[in-house]
Amino acid sequence: MKFQFDKQMIKALKYKPLILSLVLLSSVAAALTGCKKIFDLPEEKEFLSNKINYGNKVFEPVLGRTSLMGNLNTDNSTVPLKFEIVNARYGDGRPYNDIFQVQKTYVWTAPYDGLETSLAQIEAKRKLEDHPMFEVRSSGQFIMWQSSTNDLIAPRPADSSNLEQDKRLFDLKITNVGGEIILKNFQIRPWRERLYEPSTDINPYTGKTARDPNDPKNPNKRDYITPGFNNVIGVETNRGLVNDATRKDLVVYIRPFTGGTGNSLRFKFLGKDSLPINPVFFNETKWDFIVHGFNKVMTPQYVQYDVAYPIPVINLGTKYAPSGSQARSIFSYSRRGFGGTMTTANIELNYNIFKKGDWEIVFHFRRENPKFQDE
Amino acid sequence: MLGFNIMRKNILFLSIMFCALMINTLQAQTTKIVLKGIVSERATNLIMPGVSISTGKPGKVIAVTNAKGEFSVAVDEGATLTITYTGFNPQIIKLKADQTTLNVLMTESNNQLTEVVVRGYQIRSKETSTGSSFTISGDQVQDVPVSNVEQLLQGKVAGLNIQVNTGAPGFRGSAAIRGLSTLTVTGTGDDSFLQPTSPLYVIDGVPIDADKAAEYGYNTLGPGVSPLSLIPQEDVASLEVLKDAQATSLYGSRGAYGVIIITTKRGNSKIPRVRYTTNFYVNTPPKLRETLGGNSERQSKINHILANAINEDDFDRLTRTFFLADSLNDYYNNSTNWQGIFFQSTYNQTHNLALDGGDTKFNYKTNIGYSSEKGVIKNTGYDRYNMNMNMEYNPTERFRFFAAVNGGVGKQNKGNGSGLLQTGVASNGQASSLLPGPSFFQSSAGTLASLRTLNNNDSRNIRANIDARFQIIPGLWAATSVSYDYTSDNEDTFTPAAAANQFARVYSFNGRSSNLYNRNNLSYSKTLGTDHNIFVNVFNEMSKETGQAGLIEQVKTANDQFQGPLGFDAYFSRGGGVLPNFKNRHLASFAAAFSYDYKKKYIIDLSYRLDGSSLSGLENPYSKNPSIGFRWNFNKEAWFKDQSWLSYSAFRLTWGRNVIPNGNLQSIYGLYNIKGTYNNNPAIGIDYGAVPNPTLKPTTTSQYNLGFDMGFFDSRIELNFDTYFKKVDNLLVDRYLNNTTGFERVLSNDGGIINYGYELAVIFRPLPRSNPFDWSISLNGAINRDVLTKLPAEYNGQYIRRDGSQYIVNRVGKNTFSNFLIINQGVFGTDANVPVDPVTGLKYQTGGRFFQGGDPIFKDVNGDYILDNQDYQITGNSMPLITGGLSTNVNYKGWGLNIYGSFTLLRTILNNALADRFRIMSDPFDMRSVVPLDDLDTWKQPGDNSKYPYAYDYARYGQINPFRYDQTLWAEEGSYFKFNTITLSYRFTKQLAKIVGLNNFRTYISANNLITLSPYSGPNPENVTALGRDASNGYPVPRTYNIGFNVEF
Repeated sequence: MKFQFDKQMIKALKYKPLILSLVLLSSVAAALTGCKKIFDLPEEKEFLSNKINYGNKVFEPVLGRTSLMGNLNTDNSTVPLKFEIVNARYGDGRPYNDIFQVQKTYVWTAPYDGLETSLAQIEAKRKLEDHPMFEVRSSGQFIMWQSSTNDLIAPRPADSSNLEQDKRLFDLKITNVGGEIILKNFQIRPWRERLYEPSTDINPYTGKTARDPNDPKNPNKRDYITPGFNNVIGVETNRGLVNDATRKDLVVYIRPFTGGTGNSLRFKFLGKDSLPINPVFFNETKWDFIVHGFNKVMTPQYVQYDVAYPIPVINLGTKYAPSGSQARSIFSYSRRGFGGTMTTANIELNYNIFKKGDWEIVFHFRRENPKFQDE
Repeated sequence: MLGFNIMRKNILFLSIMFCALMINTLQAQTTKIVLKGIVSERATNLIMPGVSISTGKPGKVIAVTNAKGEFSVAVDEGATLTITYTGFNPQIIKLKADQTTLNVLMTESNNQLTEVVVRGYQIRSKETSTGSSFTISGDQVQDVPVSNVEQLLQGKVAGLNIQVNTGAPGFRGSAAIRGLSTLTVTGTGDDSFLQPTSPLYVIDGVPIDADKAAEYGYNTLGPGVSPLSLIPQEDVASLEVLKDAQATSLYGSRGAYGVIIITTKRGNSKIPRVRYTTNFYVNTPPKLRETLGGNSERQSKINHILANAINEDDFDRLTRTFFLADSLNDYYNNSTNWQGIFFQSTYNQTHNLALDGGDTKFNYKTNIGYSSEKGVIKNTGYDRYNMNMNMEYNPTERFRFFAAVNGGVGKQNKGNGSGLLQTGVASNGQASSLLPGPSFFQSSAGTLASLRTLNNNDSRNIRANIDARFQIIPGLWAATSVSYDYTSDNEDTFTPAAAANQFARVYSFNGRSSNLYNRNNLSYSKTLGTDHNIFVNVFNEMSKETGQAGLIEQVKTANDQFQGPLGFDAYFSRGGGVLPNFKNRHLASFAAAFSYDYKKKYIIDLSYRLDGSSLSGLENPYSKNPSIGFRWNFNKEAWFKDQSWLSYSAFRLTWGRNVIPNGNLQSIYGLYNIKGTYNNNPAIGIDYGAVPNPTLKPTTTSQYNLGFDMGFFDSRIELNFDTYFKKVDNLLVDRYLNNTTGFERVLSNDGGIINYGYELAVIFRPLPRSNPFDWSISLNGAINRDVLTKLPAEYNGQYIRRDGSQYIVNRVGKNTFSNFLIINQGVFGTDANVPVDPVTGLKYQTGGRFFQGGDPIFKDVNGDYILDNQDYQITGNSMPLITGGLSTNVNYKGWGLNIYGSFTLLRTILNNALADRFRIMSDPFDMRSVVPLDDLDTWKQPGDNSKYPYAYDYARYGQINPFRYDQTLWAEEGSYFKFNTITLSYRFTKQLAKIVGLNNFRTYISANNLITLSPYSGPNPENVTALGRDASNGYPVPRTYNIGFNVEF
């Protein structure tokens, strides 16, 4: 070396290109790593299928009952999807918002299992919450809550017409990160409240008593709720009672009564003279399994329980409601028949009661009373 | 490597001439001493003939070592000698006063810039090539016997992702360069098979198709022997992996997935020599499932049933299940180790004899090899017989002639499986231990099929090529090369009656394929003035590939003794005839490459190739493959002039495109098929599955590469960095048609993938060259990300392959292959943890059953409190993000130690092996063995907070399906680090070898597939399909222990 640099400087100079090139290299690498944009990569887009749709866009819930409706096919669109009901209007363009009024309604917080031993235990599993009577939840399912009533929501016309201006239409806006889609022209046609099932005695359009289907023009004849029964023999004719299209020997009334606790359910049996039959005659009845009720009170006139409404509280198969969807009550009695054989008679009703209150279920033997005596 | 040897020979020749001329001058000088010595190679301790010893400035060659590596020369006392040999680092030695002996150890030059590379069939200096490639010497693939040399490349080249996912002898794993190049998935469900996109292999200048045996995925018909499995590893001189498009574009469409060039050994010894290599090795099966045997299995099953029965019938069913209830029955009172019946350790051997001789004017080589590998699954194996010969003749400087003939026979026994998959073994290996062991009449048909099926497969391959080149004027060479490659594949299978529903069965497959190939080229190199170098290479290529295969199958033949001749019977014949893989392809290509450099400092490469293929759509039969590359050797700049620490340094920037015609005759012309009968005659009509698409465009791969090479401190540290951006367009995708068209779908070009990544390779030699220890460490790694860029418009950016039990999803903007699964969020500790639908009051449910404590928490994605097919989500990436390897090599005197490992990081594997293990518990009445789950964190009682659900609730299993395949519980991190091989070798000194009459003697012990470190809980994170599903019921990868000898006579 000609120059008289000290050693350190020589060293520094010597390694300068090395440092320079490393800087260069790392900056190139950094540019490529940091700046994906130069690659012009497409952004990942959350998927919102344009084939997203519902199996059915006309909903016909019955007011006063909680109905979960809507069969959405998301076509694998990315969740979470946000649903919003927009543009609620009648067929002629008038807006409506009565069905979106907020009411208190029961929501479940713990699972009912049919094993609860008191009313309080059942009530502890649900609570009252504010909800619009009609809403859509995150799964895309529509809910008509039990809090809906005829007074709050005008049901479909009593004359069974379906005029354009009466149609309730709405659109559904579905959004996710990937975009937005509006499904148009859903329709909701609420039935007026029918507080119990079977409701064959109610005209669903008017809410009044249903007429006899065999003679619909006759205002003096009506239709009934009919229970299932077997081996019930009439005390006068010694022949089996019959329920068929023309003859109704045993009918049921489901009706409110006064003087209960507000959570009462009463079972009553009336003879042909409309006098009560003592329930103890139904000697084979398992009174504890008649209904998921508590505080049984048995009088010569009736049997009464404290129950949680609606009945059944949820659609779950239990010993009180084997099918899940309807409670089942079976009343039985046995007697000695001809030849000394034991015959057991059963009267069975599958039913729902949707509204909280004091209700009684009345079995009315219209033509003749059942025969309880042995032969 | 070829040119390398030629150069070496040339120098040898020249130096002898030079030496002879100089001899007079030398004698004239005074104060001479006679210096004697031996020159040998440091790494191998081998003597080196032909090494030049020179002195003075400028150097004059005064001696050349003889065939024994000895020299004897008269030199001035205290002279400075320079010892040189091509490919080795020159040594400068100053003699001490009165020194008369000098023994020199030469080290091979590891400087990457002195390497030669192959571009478009032309040998070029690496210093002046712009493309990205990596060379591996043949030494690195010698000491571990494998049936397919490709697997030894694993982890050795950054960006070459090799997964040894099958241990089946003679089969290949998967190989891919720089990420994903296909969207095509064949097969369904667990057998889904990603279309292989293997690199093009060019063996001694002849391209071969490595995927040939795999064109049907797992269900390969015929022997399925890969052409690569027919190359004996002992015959490999070097392998070069071409990665970027500049390097591959001259190979045209077939080079789109990268190119691997294999050069076999040449004769190189004045005295003819015989080298013999033999390996004896043991293959051991991996750890097998731990099963309960005999009575403990029975008790386990009975307890399982009693503890989890829901109703009376479940108890009654136990008494009706005789293999559990009837413990006194001899038939059901055994303890058979079924896995032991199928798996075995095997003892294997290879023998390879190489004869070579000759000099620069004429040399020859013959390599005869035999290798026999018995599979760890009984009744499988692979035998290879080889005979490779070549000769090279250089009568004058201007003419060179090379001819080679390679013959190979691969005999494979696949047993009853298809080779890659051994599902028969997998399911029968799970049989209940209570059953009696196999005997001809007392065993399941599956067991017999696996053990008694006579299967005989062979692939016979013969490949001949000749290559002649002539120098017309200085710098201008004309060359021609012709090769013919013929393979015949046969398979004969005879299944005895007891193994096939009481009737024997014969199956016969035969196929043949051939490739006639011709290449003619003209190349010209010229230096203009002193600084400007140009190189032009023009060539054309023609190839004609034909292939046809047929099979015949006859069931219900007479008996086990009679295997033929069998007559035709309309009822029992399963038909056959020509298979649809009939092939008659023509390829004609024209290519030109131009290269210019200024003082070897600035280099530009241009190339263009036109491929005409009979496979392209009618509209565009020619595909165009251009490329451009720049290189800047910046250490040659003036400002680096005195920087001795910098050995070399270069920037490279390239762009290129490869166009692959990807249709087939059906996609262009449509298909006719048998459509029932008309008048009792088979009717042939249009196949309405797919409408032909004559406008089908070829898949286009364009790639940018930015590279950086550096060597420091006399190449003791070398570094290569590459970053690339690879865009694959016009990928094949099915588009579904409106049914009014009459056709179901059309094959379109609307798929696209982008791969980008970074590759780094570092070689570090910590010790100086003078140290007797020669130690090197090399490390490489590659990060590759793939992004799906395009799908047909109507898919709106997402496509779900709904088949099998685990769905695959492609989404634009995301990694190409994701899983579409139910999200598992743990296990419900107690019943009270199960959420309740506030609207209906019902618990979270599926299939009509409510979840309860011990059941898995499947995420209710849509919030309807019902688990159903709307609750799937995109998750995971089945492609590995990072792959690489690590290797260290120590040589000291005759000793050598090599340890090398490879790693694959960040990939999702669906652990179906574990799923299957749990699923066995779904039915305790089933005659399957019990694998205890004690080692797993399963739910046992209310309140447990565990990873895996309660395993024994068989009665509710059908509805809850807690161990369903399509859930994220099985999605595990599949990273692994594998110790591939460890080799310890010792080369006996010359004197010792002489005692036993040998020229050279080396022995080594090695182990392959030693340990895999991984967080993965399945058996082997590498035994996984290309789509990331555990393939444990495939062929396990054995562990190998080997002892081998190299002997030279």
